[in-house]
Amino acid sequence: MNNKDNLIPREVFDHLVDLAAFSLEEQEKSYLHEQMNNQLNSIRELEAIPLPDDLPVTTHGVDYGQDGTPPLRKDEWVACQNTADILAQAPCVEDDYIVVPDIPTTELE
Amino acid sequence: MTIAYEAVIGLETHIQLNTLTKIFCSCKADSWEDEPNTNICPVCTGLPGVLPVLNEKVVEKAVLLAAAMQANIQDLSFFDRKNYFYPDLPKGYQISQYDHSLATGGFLDVPVPASSDTGSDAYVRQVRIHKLHIEEDAGKTKKEKDRRYVDFNRCGVPLVEMVTEPDLRSAEEAGQYLIRLRQLLRWLGISEADMEKGNLRCDANVSIREKGSTVLNTKTEIKNVNSIDAVKDAIRKEIERQIKEVEKGNTIKPWTLDWDDNAGVLRMMRSKETEADYRYFHEPDLLPLVISPAWQARILEGLPELPLARRKRFMEEFKIPEYDADILTTERDLADYFEETARLYGGDAKKISNWLMNDVLRMRNDLGKSMQELNLTPAYLTELVKLTDDGKINSTIAKHLLQKVQESGKAPYTLVEELGLAVVSDDGAIRSVCEKIIAANPAEVQSYRDGKQSLMGWFVGQVMREMRGKADPQITQRVLKEILDK
Amino acid sequence: MMTELTDYSAFKLADLVKTKQVSAREILQAHLQYIEKADGRPGSLDGIPSADDDKKIHAFITHTEAIALRQAKQVDEKIAKGEDAGLLAGVPFTVKDIFCVKDTPSTAASRILANFTAPYTATPVARLAAAGGLMLGKVNLDEFTYGSSSESSAFQPSPRNPWDLSKVPGGSSGGSAAAVAAHEGALSLGTDTAGSIRQPAAFCGVVGMKPTYGRVSRYGLIAFGSSLDCPGPLARTVKDAALMLQVIAGADKADATAAMKDVPDYLKDIEKDIAGMRIGLSPDYFRITFPDPESGEYVEQELPTEIQDAVYRTAEVYKALGATIVEDVPMPNTRYGIPVYFVISRVEAASNLHRFDGVKYGYRTPEQVKDLTEMYRRSRGEGFGLQPKLRILMGMYVSAAQYAEQYYQRALKVRSLIRNDFEIVFDPGGLYKLDALLTPTTPTTAFGMAAVYGDSVMMQYADQLTVPANHAGVPGISIPAGFSDDGLPVGVQLLGADFSEAKLLRIARAFEMATETDEWRTKKPIVLEGE
Repeated sequence: MNNKDNLIPREVFDHLVDLAAFSLEEQEKSYLHEQMNNQLNSIRELEAIPLPDDLPVTTHGVDYGQDGTPPLRKDEWVACQNTADILAQAPCVEDDYIVVPDIPTTELE
Repeated sequence: MTIAYEAVIGLETHIQLNTLTKIFCSCKADSWEDEPNTNICPVCTGLPGVLPVLNEKVVEKAVLLAAAMQANIQDLSFFDRKNYFYPDLPKGYQISQYDHSLATGGFLDVPVPASSDTGSDAYVRQVRIHKLHIEEDAGKTKKEKDRRYVDFNRCGVPLVEMVTEPDLRSAEEAGQYLIRLRQLLRWLGISEADMEKGNLRCDANVSIREKGSTVLNTKTEIKNVNSIDAVKDAIRKEIERQIKEVEKGNTIKPWTLDWDDNAGVLRMMRSKETEADYRYFHEPDLLPLVISPAWQARILEGLPELPLARRKRFMEEFKIPEYDADILTTERDLADYFEETARLYGGDAKKISNWLMNDVLRMRNDLGKSMQELNLTPAYLTELVKLTDDGKINSTIAKHLLQKVQESGKAPYTLVEELGLAVVSDDGAIRSVCEKIIAANPAEVQSYRDGKQSLMGWFVGQVMREMRGKADPQITQRVLKEILDK
Repeated sequence: MMTELTDYSAFKLADLVKTKQVSAREILQAHLQYIEKADGRPGSLDGIPSADDDKKIHAFITHTEAIALRQAKQVDEKIAKGEDAGLLAGVPFTVKDIFCVKDTPSTAASRILANFTAPYTATPVARLAAAGGLMLGKVNLDEFTYGSSSESSAFQPSPRNPWDLSKVPGGSSGGSAAAVAAHEGALSLGTDTAGSIRQPAAFCGVVGMKPTYGRVSRYGLIAFGSSLDCPGPLARTVKDAALMLQVIAGADKADATAAMKDVPDYLKDIEKDIAGMRIGLSPDYFRITFPDPESGEYVEQELPTEIQDAVYRTAEVYKALGATIVEDVPMPNTRYGIPVYFVISRVEAASNLHRFDGVKYGYRTPEQVKDLTEMYRRSRGEGFGLQPKLRILMGMYVSAAQYAEQYYQRALKVRSLIRNDFEIVFDPGGLYKLDALLTPTTPTTAFGMAAVYGDSVMMQYADQLTVPANHAGVPGISIPAGFSDDGLPVGVQLLGADFSEAKLLRIARAFEMATETDEWRTKKPIVLEGE
């Protein structure tokens, strides 16, 4: 791969930043964009690997087998005893609701 | 020349399963009466480090539904993450099933009744199912001033998402589909299916085309409809709007529309997001879901005969009219009740049907109970009908007795004995009352004897009243006639 | 007597406590005093660098004396009552700060979780505590474990290598390895996603084991690559690692990927001889392949001889112990470990980090925002460091619908090829019938602070020899095997079939016993010298 600098066009990068919900400084952007191009350059090695058509995907390396697979959960209710501790972690809580700024909508008539 | 249009409608339904606990944690699933953020735990609030553990009952209920929809149940399916930001989604992704879902295919036969409005006959619309999968519900947000208030209680309530093919052709058909689906869900016992409570939610994809055409045109998606009437209203409005647009020469845009039930109008929300942004991938925290043949067989042992099949069988086996069969199969416990009673009774099942439809159902509705909760069991109802058949009680008494059985929980025969409700067929007892009535009403006796034969009914009534309805009407009439004609 | 307690193995400490020669409280006090002296200031948010940073270890982020004191009291009470105080009675341990511990800051070394106090405890930590362990504190790591040097922590100073304070301890479990090497607790709980236990263990001259995926519950481990993450032990001896694994391994109702396999007694046969065992050497583990930072062209490079020599020396020891050394074992897909990892781990990481959005916990921007979207962007933009941001963006790229087939799906298939390599060589009915594969743990010894930091690609290639085991799910252990010419520890790695931890520990222990009296074994980390 020779042209390793421009694998990810800037508009694609900007779209990803948008999807990731990041506000970034220009300096951060150029570092991240450059590193992504470098990483992609490494990843592209995968494209050259010949793969048999029937090669299955591996989601977890280990073969659990039937006896190693954990059973599903029984439908039994266990109430959490410290819900207040969970809520206490939220930056803004009112009347036991977690409060966030409003959601922008583009309502059109 | 005007063009005739037809609508092409597909429905995407979200069905909350009525398991005791949530899909991936041990919190209670139903929070209807709970204060905000009380029915939560580290798992369903997406704390760092937590992991989902699948509730086995969720799979079982979803498999039942898939089987009832004649869908192909997959012995291997995967969970996937659907990634997006929204404050009601604490993990930032929804655990759902994407390209290898629990079941594919299947259909629901939807009987559409005759319509006097359009003059159409009754017919059956077969609605094919595209995909059926398991996923988790999100929390709820409410807007107040310029802020959002978030409640996580609903996070992780198990859902089945079922998507139909675009097989529905009118708002009425869509309504009937939902009615039949709701009936089926309750029949299977897998969801409360109450649209007002959000147990059953529906998005409608609507497009129009020239009648007879097979093309699929651009569709709009209607969201936020929470009753069957609202679904029908919204679809009707949208079909009208699309026809108007097309006739004006405009094109239909793939909008997402929000139904405002109070105002009865549709509003456009936002341009449809592309699926690419969700970046689905297999959920690494869950192993692939394997449904072994043995497990599937065990689940399907619990699959009851389905409403439409039962309706058909009731008509054939018990020789009851379609109308009766339809009503008696609206709910499974009603159908069970009917069938058990009809079998115990063994005679003309139409009689049982009449009793149920005229009296028992009303009584049950007034009491707000289920059929199983009634003291009036199938055995008691059978006994009661047999008592009338045998002339032990008359129909007036029988209706009274029905209430008494329900109130006391005692057997009809016992009550007849205890309360002395049996028809009096003792000739002597009736004769003495008849003589008393005749003696007390000389004017009426005279009129009768002068030829006003129609007064016989009045005399019978008087005797009945005196004997509080228990007199055998035939004997009474014979005795009265004997004395008056003397 | 007091200072010496920090030198004992976990095994020995538990024995001293159970035989009432020492109390848990005495052990704890000895450790607290020593840490106070040796560790220096803990990493803190916005910690300003100082010249003194290079004089101490800085393994910790949070000290948890109060918890440890409570635990010590419980152990001593049990001992007094004659009750079973657990396998780890009175053994001090540290926890990589990627595990949630109830009522304790659980930061993942990130600003975005700096103010997060976990309301629950991770399963492996709960098991260590239940076995009588004393939790000394939470130790430093790369932010969200994303790195191989621990330098990317938002809590500075980051940990130093106890053998040479100008070098990194490795990562991401750098705080764990440094703490154990510097005798700040006999054991540490780490996590390994691409080598994050084994690589720092090698750099710091300690034992580090990545168990089989699913052997140890991940519940409470703040996730990075969920299909790769493995909690595991770091210890100074193989027996201590076995002891710790004994305690933390096993099924967990809270983790649907924790295997149901019974946990064997890892100590029972650990000192049995290994005669007749088949130990493989693969040429594919004696070189690394990476893209040249300048040209982007792939270069293949032989490992430094001192690394290679350590492996061959180890093989000689095994041969002398009666094992069969099988050479030229092909592991042809080893070189794809990093590219595959670049895809799979990033996709999973991007999704795992979605939840940090300023809504429910952790950092929310203090700035006035106009709407929710801005709140998200600012909170995430300000809360995450560069490495998490990079991983999120990369993960989003390779899992986007238009690229997923090309990259993500393909990576999952290449992962199958990597797995196949292991299945073939460990197949008892196959050509190689290996009991273990012996490899170097790392391509180099510990590198200098700031030497590689910032180059995300080169940093990642430090994991090339460890990451295949994560893809395949198989267990691996890194053990000290000597020193480089410049006096830095060199580790060797043993890889085995699924759930073969007992066998790997036994093979590792055999080497340890055979080299017990070797001269290099007497070397001590610089921080311990002059005691």
